[in-house]
Amino acid sequence: MEFDKKSLLKLGKLARISISDDKLNNLSKDLNSILEFVDQLKEIKTDQVDPTSNSLNQKLEVRDDKVDTKNGAEDILENAPEKEMDFFVVPKVIE
Amino acid sequence: MKDSYTLKSLAVLLENNKISSKELTSEYLKNIENGKELNCYNTISQEKALIDAEKSDQRRKSQNLRSKYDGIPIGIKDLFCTKGVTTTASSKILSNFVPNYESTVTQNCDDAGLISLGKLNCDEFAMGSTNKTSFFGSVKNPWKSVNSDNELVPGGSSGGSAAAVSGDLCVASLGTDTGGSIRQPASFTGTVGLKPSYGRVSRWGIVAFASSLDQAGPITKTVEDAAILLDIISGHDEKDSTSSVNPKENYYENLNSDIKGMKIGIPKEFRSDKLPASTQKSWDECANLLKTNGAEIVDISLPHTMSALPAYYIIAPAEASSNLARYDGVRYGLRVKGNDLIDMYEKTRSEGFGDEVKRRILIGTYVLSSGYYDAYYIKAQKIRSLIKSDYVEAFKKVDAILTPSTPSTAFEIANEPSDPVQNYLNDIFTVPVNLAGLPGISIPYANDENNLPIGLQLITNSFEEQKLLNVARNIEETINYSETPEKWWLK
Repeated sequence: MEFDKKSLLKLGKLARISISDDKLNNLSKDLNSILEFVDQLKEIKTDQVDPTSNSLNQKLEVRDDKVDTKNGAEDILENAPEKEMDFFVVPKVIE
Repeated sequence: MKDSYTLKSLAVLLENNKISSKELTSEYLKNIENGKELNCYNTISQEKALIDAEKSDQRRKSQNLRSKYDGIPIGIKDLFCTKGVTTTASSKILSNFVPNYESTVTQNCDDAGLISLGKLNCDEFAMGSTNKTSFFGSVKNPWKSVNSDNELVPGGSSGGSAAAVSGDLCVASLGTDTGGSIRQPASFTGTVGLKPSYGRVSRWGIVAFASSLDQAGPITKTVEDAAILLDIISGHDEKDSTSSVNPKENYYENLNSDIKGMKIGIPKEFRSDKLPASTQKSWDECANLLKTNGAEIVDISLPHTMSALPAYYIIAPAEASSNLARYDGVRYGLRVKGNDLIDMYEKTRSEGFGDEVKRRILIGTYVLSSGYYDAYYIKAQKIRSLIKSDYVEAFKKVDAILTPSTPSTAFEIANEPSDPVQNYLNDIFTVPVNLAGLPGISIPYANDENNLPIGLQLITNSFEEQKLLNVARNIEETINYSETPEKWWLK
């Protein structure tokens, strides 16, 4: 597949990144070049191979269920661009 | 300042009261001020560093030291969250972010009494090999070619971390390595860069790029210093479920450069006609040197080496697109006003991220999207299994693998290729190590015909950092590389 204007704008929507018209050409050129590069993997047979998601052979440990008072509402909200009481404020979602 | 400062030598000077932490810290702060042109630091913690140095001097007086290295100032890549100190990942989207927590690695440094001089420039979100993608501009390599006055890239993404050590803007630094981001800049700057095994060092509190590949590690002047800093930062951390429960070792104490009887593998797939003659020569010479010192050189094959880079450029962007979804203008970082919630997300991310980060998020979103997930993401993970098994097989035959660190020495900032794929090729020798989760180290071996450092890479099996450091130390001891850049920025 090739990235054309339409598919690129759709991808931008999925990734929540607006793409301006003047960037479309270069971006599609770059992404097509990357895609062409990774497409060489198609030639390698992998039918009998299991995927590796993580190189560490270690089972995930369960931690103790302890009450921790760190990282409370005040800490979490400290860097919020806009807040009110104990809430993050965002543009109105429901009319 | 003496160029011979190392963590090891400074510990002795401090112990013998030849210098105080405050004097030492002031000296480095002065170097940083004089070296501003190199653009190594995003944030200089002048005031805090001096206060911390005074506290260290107090601890020394009252014989209440946190470690032998208490009072030594270091630099920290601007990817580690540091409490009360701006942490930007060199991105506009985080340019106002002041964490209220401390990453485990930097906490470990603080627990050892190390002092932070500030936060080091890097590629935006650690995505790049030249440090050019930083929102705060390129870092300049302290090295220059003898044939030209043009500025060179320091490598990346830990470009500031490597350049700062090379230019004496700190004695040692912390970097992170997802596909070569410690080893490649170390190679370009004549410094030692160590990427530990996946899981050896906690990732907690490090701005995430590709979580299955990211590892923090030291950039230092010597292999001994790399061992010292690894001792300080490594170990299990219950806050990172992928940090290993394998007990950590005393790497520095157990450093032993005897390599008699060891087998060192030379992988044929790393050979290339495109490799500069001087790099090939260093590689051959180093193999001979190890042989002279008692090791056996073994030709090996890592058949899937050439598939590592394309697999990496599926897996890393996929994980990045997922990790970077958190930057939405709601909880922290930049917010750009929009007509509604979605518009706000799109505008924030469009203005907040640079071009390379956007490219990777878009590619990552694509390879994870319905219809392409199996063909790209799962396929790449299967290739990853093949790469890993290449190394499993190799380590049945050899103790360590020797390769060049990079396909070239440092190049001019102005000559950076505009095609992203051409840039990705910088990491061709380092990426397989991350995919397989292995430890790797780049050490300076010699300078090329332009007087630019050539780095060689050693790789061992997972959690064999001791062996890795031992072989590296053997090379270091034998060649005694002591080249330093001319300080052209001190006019």
